[in-house]
Amino acid sequence: MQIPLEELTITPGSACQGCGAALAARLAFKAIGPNAIRHRVPCCPDSTTAHPSASSVFESGGAMLTGTWRGLKAIGRTDVQVVGFFGDGGTYDIGLQSLSAAAERNENIWVITKDNEAYMNTGNQRSGATPIFARTSTTPVGSVTKGKQMRKKQIAKIFAAHGIPYLATASVGYPEDLIAKINYGKTVKGFKMLIIQSPCPVGWRYDGSKTIEMARLGVQTGIWPLYEIIDGEKLKLNYKPRELKPVTEYLKPQARFRHLTDDNISLIQEETAKEWETLLKSDELGRVLL
Amino acid sequence: MIGIRIHGRGGQGAVTASRLLADASYRDGKFSQAIPMYGTERRGAPLVAYVRIDDVRVRERELVHEPDVVIVLDPLLSKKQSVASGLKKGGLLILNSSLPPEKVEIAGDIKIATVDATKIALETLKLPITNTAILGAFSKSVGYPTMESIEKSIRNQFPGRVGEMNIAAIHQSYEEVTPAVQATHTEPVVEESDIAVGGYGVLKDVSSWRVFTPIIDLDKCTGCRACWLFCPETAIQWKDNRPEIEYHKCKGCGICVEECPVKCIAFERVVA
Amino acid sequence: MVGNKATATAVKLARVQVASAFPVTPQTTITEYLSDMVANGELDAEFVNVEGELSSQVVVQAASRVGARTFVCTSGPGQLYMHHPMHQTSDNRLPVVMATVHRGNKGMMPDHTDLMSQLWTGWMQFYVEHNQEALDTCLMAYKIAEDERVRLPLVFGYDGYVLSYTAEPVEIPDQDEVDDWLPPYKAMPSILPDEVLPENLGGGSGGGDPQERWKKHHEAIVNAKDVIIEVNESYGKTFGHSYGNGLIEEYRTEDAEAVLVAMGSLTGTARAAIDRLQDDGLNVGLVKLKCFLPFPKEDFQKIGKKVGAIGMIDRNVCLGHGGAAYTQIRNAIYDLEERPSVLEFYAGMGGKEVRVDDVYKVGEKTLKAAKSGGVSTSTEWV
Repeated sequence: MQIPLEELTITPGSACQGCGAALAARLAFKAIGPNAIRHRVPCCPDSTTAHPSASSVFESGGAMLTGTWRGLKAIGRTDVQVVGFFGDGGTYDIGLQSLSAAAERNENIWVITKDNEAYMNTGNQRSGATPIFARTSTTPVGSVTKGKQMRKKQIAKIFAAHGIPYLATASVGYPEDLIAKINYGKTVKGFKMLIIQSPCPVGWRYDGSKTIEMARLGVQTGIWPLYEIIDGEKLKLNYKPRELKPVTEYLKPQARFRHLTDDNISLIQEETAKEWETLLKSDELGRVLL
Repeated sequence: MIGIRIHGRGGQGAVTASRLLADASYRDGKFSQAIPMYGTERRGAPLVAYVRIDDVRVRERELVHEPDVVIVLDPLLSKKQSVASGLKKGGLLILNSSLPPEKVEIAGDIKIATVDATKIALETLKLPITNTAILGAFSKSVGYPTMESIEKSIRNQFPGRVGEMNIAAIHQSYEEVTPAVQATHTEPVVEESDIAVGGYGVLKDVSSWRVFTPIIDLDKCTGCRACWLFCPETAIQWKDNRPEIEYHKCKGCGICVEECPVKCIAFERVVA
Repeated sequence: MVGNKATATAVKLARVQVASAFPVTPQTTITEYLSDMVANGELDAEFVNVEGELSSQVVVQAASRVGARTFVCTSGPGQLYMHHPMHQTSDNRLPVVMATVHRGNKGMMPDHTDLMSQLWTGWMQFYVEHNQEALDTCLMAYKIAEDERVRLPLVFGYDGYVLSYTAEPVEIPDQDEVDDWLPPYKAMPSILPDEVLPENLGGGSGGGDPQERWKKHHEAIVNAKDVIIEVNESYGKTFGHSYGNGLIEEYRTEDAEAVLVAMGSLTGTARAAIDRLQDDGLNVGLVKLKCFLPFPKEDFQKIGKKVGAIGMIDRNVCLGHGGAAYTQIRNAIYDLEERPSVLEFYAGMGGKEVRVDDVYKVGEKTLKAAKSGGVSTSTEWV
């Protein structure tokens, strides 16, 4: 697949060195193309793109995209794509209610989430997207508890259960896959969602030059599987190695997991393997197994 | 009262330096105030912090616009004329630099003292984090806070082994800082851009963010486009089937260096 | 026609393109009337049934930004839930029109605390007396809000139950005449990809002097008074109804020694009380305060020069502070060399019924203050 050479980002932006989300925005909007309105809710500054853009209150992503789409419909400009590029806070947590309602109404919009697994804009506080045991500034490593005690919210399954026409996961480590998914979504009318794992060197505590490596390891260990779900039913795994790498390869280089005990790691390994089995079975059957 | 401005980068600990300085001054019986840069801090982005030290409680809440002393934590920022902006006539500039003050090309009716804080930090902490090391140079050049108070502040902030390593750093910088001399350079260098501090939106030039600079060896380049593909800032343009780095967009993250399959991108440290 | 039907009818006449609401008593039937109109093809609009009021406000905000005429409505708790995005709508200078069917913050029954809790959101605020005025005000609201000299959102409120579910005759203007009077809406500046100005790509940097934005916003509301007066006059000429000068309306104030000031449906009851007072030889007039934001300061200064006492009947109270209109009127008359007494009466709070007799007594007390001379103050719960 040919990745378009044309850049739609206006750079340099104000993201940190080695920001995964800045790359996610750059790649996603390359594929979206220029005929779009891009909406924002509060999040880290990823990449500014050459689109008309507006922002509203944090909790309102779904409503904002809805209003824009319905307004375009009312004035006869249904050619314009409506894209929300939100963080995990705006998707998993404070924005979930309004996004769920927009998904239920099957609004003709794009929701692209750059998932960096915590509230990075305010300095790495835990979110519903933070994985189990990860250290954040609100799930510190203390003498009583060490890191986050709850699992990561399975947002893809939540939205799949809405029966939306297109949902996919992606990773900045696999740009061709990411862009192919947006290209496919562009042919679909209705609610489209792409959740992109976007490593954050500051919050995850690894060197910024290793962002792509972290993203790839996430996929190769099964921590962040790449798949797509059509109409909330048909599932397809897009990356199926013969064997997954052990999760330690992903966990060890990130200092947010440095305090993990062998038991902690075993638990993550077991749960990852179990989820992978389910996905393989789903892929084989061609339908979602929850 | 004296006002101090500290220049550093996101991740170098300028805010911690400002708080240690304020805390140590208070331990010496003075009043003080440490002000972080308002807004968000980005890893690698230049930023500033401010300190006021006085004999009475500091009341004013405005930023320090005309400092008596400017501290620069970063060796690259230490080459910039703009770190001296607003510095009072006869004021003191303490630079993290391996150069003697006479060789520093920053002009003005100011005094300059230098200390190779990066070298000290690498020797004592094994990391190029210069926020504590520079405090010893400050104490020596300005005459306060006392080294005893800075030690106490550091032990309070960093208990255990880390604190002792930092204390070794301040003592070394106390010994190695040069005497302050009148700036000898007369013509201010006209800079292409001001120091770009963090913030939201599109910035003009982020060259000052870089500690390491990627340099592509085009003879070895196979034209695979990995560097272009993975650059978050579009700093690598693809022209005539070859990569070309637009350095004003490059923050020096090193992703291109990591991702080049034939390792034809060097990552060179620019030293002062 | 009940008040909610009058409002829905005005929305249809204004050819609203995107409407959104979450049902809440006593606003609920507006959402049902609009749903019917859209389902029957009477109204060619997108009606978005959202999951809460916060989303309804953001839906119309976003739709207004791309160039659709919008309508949103709510009551009491929904109004409070919607507070956050109301700031963005006004900050972005979007001419959204909203109807608030008043429901107080204590219980189901009406008072004005729901809308008064939004004083800091930067919207224009109107308070409506009867169902005809609800329809007329809704149409005027679009003309005022969309005027290029204003470009601000406008909310008009009317008392739940008292108007929303009470039927009375309402004259409905011809659609053709409305179309002639109210031109289509266009967004400024456009955010369509093929029309957006290059400097607005990326959504701007958020730089500049933030205080300047507050200053301009404040000035825009204050300066909207001229447009409000103009639109009220033009509506009167075209459709035969107008409301005082658009900001306030004086009733039987000629030679009045004292005036009462009322807002919303209470004004009608007060009119009846004023008639009785004057029949009994008590020279008390009435001022209806229709436009609360921008506050018609100059009008109250003129009235303050004429009378010895002003009795403000507030259907709201800023707890620990006082009635919103009362404090504004006292503020306005401070500039006068000779000041009348200003008395505060709280009435109709939590939907407590206000009878003609109650207002009659308020009139007597205010007149007494006018006659006694000097400046007196008092606070009374009616």
